[in-house]
Amino acid sequence: MAFLEKSNWVVLVVAVATLATYGTWTLTQALGKPVSEIGWVQPMIYSIVGFVVLNILGNVIAAATNPKEADKSDQRDREINAFGERLGNYLVIAGACVALVLTMVAADRFWIGNAIYFAGILGAMGSSVTKIVAYHGPFQKW
Amino acid sequence: MVKPTHVTNSIRALRFANGEMTQADLADRVGVTRQTVIAIEQGKYSPSLEMAFQIARAFGVRLDEVFQYPDSEEKP
Repeated sequence: MAFLEKSNWVVLVVAVATLATYGTWTLTQALGKPVSEIGWVQPMIYSIVGFVVLNILGNVIAAATNPKEADKSDQRDREINAFGERLGNYLVIAGACVALVLTMVAADRFWIGNAIYFAGILGAMGSSVTKIVAYHGPFQKW
Repeated sequence: MVKPTHVTNSIRALRFANGEMTQADLADRVGVTRQTVIAIEQGKYSPSLEMAFQIARAFGVRLDEVFQYPDSEEKP
């Protein structure tokens, strides 16, 4: 498995774990009280920092298991990466549009913050899934 | 992204004709990863023209001895 594919598996696993942890916590809180009373800022910061730190650790471990492959990438890797990133960016933009609409209708800060958060996480997941699929199936830039 | 390439290749046969060259050896000579050589060999990825020339050079043959484009795929 190419290092960049391993790296995308790390992003996907960490994103799913982060989303599951934060999502479960948020839903649990939302069941008991109005969303305006949920202290979501600190858990979200922990979640974002955790996502970044775990990704770095995961990549370091992936590189350590096969150091010779860690700094290797070629044209196909770059094309797959660009393709996946483009799809991830679409998801982030879609999430930003949702957040914009929520702001326009004066929704609670909870919804706006979480819309942006989920857009970021889903963008990372969509991007990594696209790249992993591209690594295994036919992939043509043109 | 998922459309299959119509370009076929003789990389596998050329590798065996060149002292059973491994995919890793060919990857090193061309300067790509082994996974990319596997993808090209299996027809899952069409290399750029420059990479195609590098592969042909690694075998010491002409480009059309490595890659072929079937006549049936030409425009009617």
